[in-house]
Amino acid sequence: MKPFTRALGSIAMLALAGLTGSAQAADDTVKIGLEIPLSPPGDPAAGQLIRRGAELAVEYVNTVMKGVAGGKKIELVVQDSQGKTDVGVAAYRKLATEDKVIGVTGFFHSSVNIAVNEVAKEIGVPTIATQTSAADITAKRYEPAFRTHAIDPIRVETFLEFTKKMGYKRISLVAETTDYGIGIAEEMEKQNKEAKAGLELQKITFDHAATDLTAQLLQVKAFKPDLVINIGVGAPVDLIIDQATTVGLLPTTPMLVSYDAPERPQFWKLHEKNGVGIYFIAYYSPKQKLSDIGEWMAKAYKEKYGENAIYSSLNGFGDVMILAQAADMAKSTDPKAIIKALESGTFKTWAAAPVTFPDAPGVYYHNWSPPILILHYTKPNEDWQTAEIIVEHVGVKH
Amino acid sequence: MVALLETTDLSKRFGGLLANDAVNLSVAEGEIRGLIGPNGAGKTTLANLITGIYPPSSGEIRMRGQSLLGLAPHEIAAQGLLRTFQVCRIFGNLSVRENLLLPYLTGTGDIAEGKRLAEEFLALTTLDRLADEPAKRLSGGQRALLQVAAGFMVPELRCYVLDEPFAGINPVIKDAIVELILTANKSRGVTFVIVSHEMAVMRKLCHKVTVLIEGRVVTEGTLDEVAAKREVVAAYLGKAWT
Amino acid sequence: MFSTELLVQTLIAGVMIGVLYALMALGITFIYSIVKMINWAMGEFYMIGSFAQYLLVVFLLGPDFWWVAVPIAALSVFLIGALLEPILIKPMFRQALERKDEYATVVTIALLLLLRNLATGIAGPNQFTPGSNLGVVMLGPLPVTGARFAAFLCTLAALTLFYILLKKTWWGLALRAAAQSRIGAQTSGVDILRLDQIAFGVGVGLAGLAGALLAPEFQVYPTNGVVTTVKGFEIIVIGGLGSIPGALIAGVMLGVVESLGAAFIASPYQNVYGFLLVLVVLLIKPTGLFGERVRQA
Repeated sequence: MKPFTRALGSIAMLALAGLTGSAQAADDTVKIGLEIPLSPPGDPAAGQLIRRGAELAVEYVNTVMKGVAGGKKIELVVQDSQGKTDVGVAAYRKLATEDKVIGVTGFFHSSVNIAVNEVAKEIGVPTIATQTSAADITAKRYEPAFRTHAIDPIRVETFLEFTKKMGYKRISLVAETTDYGIGIAEEMEKQNKEAKAGLELQKITFDHAATDLTAQLLQVKAFKPDLVINIGVGAPVDLIIDQATTVGLLPTTPMLVSYDAPERPQFWKLHEKNGVGIYFIAYYSPKQKLSDIGEWMAKAYKEKYGENAIYSSLNGFGDVMILAQAADMAKSTDPKAIIKALESGTFKTWAAAPVTFPDAPGVYYHNWSPPILILHYTKPNEDWQTAEIIVEHVGVKH
Repeated sequence: MVALLETTDLSKRFGGLLANDAVNLSVAEGEIRGLIGPNGAGKTTLANLITGIYPPSSGEIRMRGQSLLGLAPHEIAAQGLLRTFQVCRIFGNLSVRENLLLPYLTGTGDIAEGKRLAEEFLALTTLDRLADEPAKRLSGGQRALLQVAAGFMVPELRCYVLDEPFAGINPVIKDAIVELILTANKSRGVTFVIVSHEMAVMRKLCHKVTVLIEGRVVTEGTLDEVAAKREVVAAYLGKAWT
Repeated sequence: MFSTELLVQTLIAGVMIGVLYALMALGITFIYSIVKMINWAMGEFYMIGSFAQYLLVVFLLGPDFWWVAVPIAALSVFLIGALLEPILIKPMFRQALERKDEYATVVTIALLLLLRNLATGIAGPNQFTPGSNLGVVMLGPLPVTGARFAAFLCTLAALTLFYILLKKTWWGLALRAAAQSRIGAQTSGVDILRLDQIAFGVGVGLAGLAGALLAPEFQVYPTNGVVTTVKGFEIIVIGGLGSIPGALIAGVMLGVVESLGAAFIASPYQNVYGFLLVLVVLLIKPTGLFGERVRQA
């Protein structure tokens, strides 16, 4: 064989190896799309965690609930968004038009979720945002767009409650230039003004792909803030913690991580020496009361994976459960009927509080948010489940 | 007696062009052979075939009876068959001294001996005051001189193919190159195949010349013998002359 | 925000990171100058170097012996490269191929995908770090992790050693000759295919060295080579393909421009300043600051 042909051959083989075998399903199953980041530049760890929860939901529906809409089994169809908008949109199109899913959930990157919703508006298969918080996901009021995650305004309310409680005045926002990072930084500026919180804010933004953030963090240090809010997602969270330690921000200046990244097992492996003192947002603590299906999930997860479930998995579980319940209610797999069911029904999720998707104004449209916590690590290798709860913020009911 | 270098029915085809057509060449050990012919006669192609730059389309090349077919250029060089190029292939970014050392060091020789030999050739070629300059600073003639001298640095050198070593070079350097060739031929018994248009120099150097016209060997003999032949004159001066 | 202290800090930070990027560029430029091909899988060899360092430090040697792990990691990557070269690259020269450049591109991109998928399959999606016990070092007003400072010094040492080997040894002489003319070197008796194998190994070994040195700083995960590869290519365009001093100077320029831009102009465009520098250099000197027009005889 000629080398050129041989090279083409090896590429073809690689392409084949890269395909995730999508099982051919029987017609009598209800298919649910799961669109998660499974490879970089997305956050694959988050994608895996969401997937674990979603798979447990399938197990629950098919074994405990004995199926939906007259005993039909449900089935997951998984797609990798790679955290990229173009890949994410293509994945949604495939799920909606080829696989004929009743809904797509699992979303972790706001940019992907926003781009997908633009297409969902046309195609009409509903989306449920699992862990994306940018305002536009629901604020655009697209009929198929739903969310069960903390939204920027509620997250930022939590930040403000925290700064007030701790007496912090000068705050540095170190935000990645994604919809998530910019969204939060801008919401923070807005609420600071509207609520007359009187905070002095420094906004430093950085490219999500950058690895060396020394220049940005030197600027932060020169500002002499009372608190640094780490608004990165994935590897940047850890790079900021490490490099802030180097320039001398940590441990003297407190840092708040804007989502629950420090709950992951790898956190203490990466930050054995500089993880103590970190504050972080959490959406769940074992001290909370769970629903009955939440209890089932927590137990099944522990049995299967030998560790406690965290929010990503719980919410992945909850969102698949919600779609399954909607299909059960609608007695149909027609996207329009599913949307109608989602809008009118009340659903069980992992949390004790029932889920509804009200026709509320602005970002609160089709939105349900779990309570938001701020936790604090005070000793090395501390388990997040025993971490001190500093703030428990319940979103305003609309 | 077996010839040092021998080609049998050696041909090279480039698409529709037959650059070498069944060339039979036999060069004896210690001989200085001239290779002449009009432009486009296939002289450089022949040099490229012999030294392994191109594989021949058909035919055989032997050195001391051993076939050279299928050997890479560096393997042919290792057998003591070296060449120079018409477009001077010295290494412009290497110093003049390094240009001399490189071919020596690819052999098995002792490094100190190589350095001593390099100094000798630097003196012989009067390039010694430029020894540590990058070779790209040299004039065209000096480059040609350096290129020829570099080949003599190979201890195993048996047969040296020079492709237009005198083209566009001033008489002083031309004499220096001639001197290098004659010395190596006498003292080390090196065999030469020289491609050149410079008839005066060829007359002085070559025991015998081979005339190549349109890829074929037309005649062989001393320069004066072949110059007397009608077809050679015709080829050089144009067919209209005959 | 601006102050002299901040300016000095930013400048030092830029020089530091620039030198580290230069190591990556050196590998790319070295392979190009000898083998005449661009190795698109360079970042994957960086990744392998970083994983080797992680494995050695965490499971065998411990963080105090990072300096033992670094040469072993780099050497392993060298060996992997030297073993792969005869399989993947050599066919390009042994057979009369018409489109050598396309061949090299296809083969190295295939290699990139293969190595990246393998790494994701084996290591999973998580980040790792070998950790470091080196304390923070003050460079004037700038605090720097011991690991980064050590990487900086090791890079300078490696660049110097590389330069000396290239200037003073017979292999160096042969490599420099081959960089100028492959056929010329061959007719001087140099076994060019053997040299290709060594050059490819050394080039990817340099990337592996960068990966090993930067592992505690920039973490270890299957796609951690991407950023350094991009920087490497930028540096080559700025400094000129095939120039070692060019790679070092361009690396420092790139590091400084990015740092200053991020600190004093607008931080989100950190990666854009480098590309602007690339464009400016291309306008003024298309061959790069130290590049030479290649003349093929």
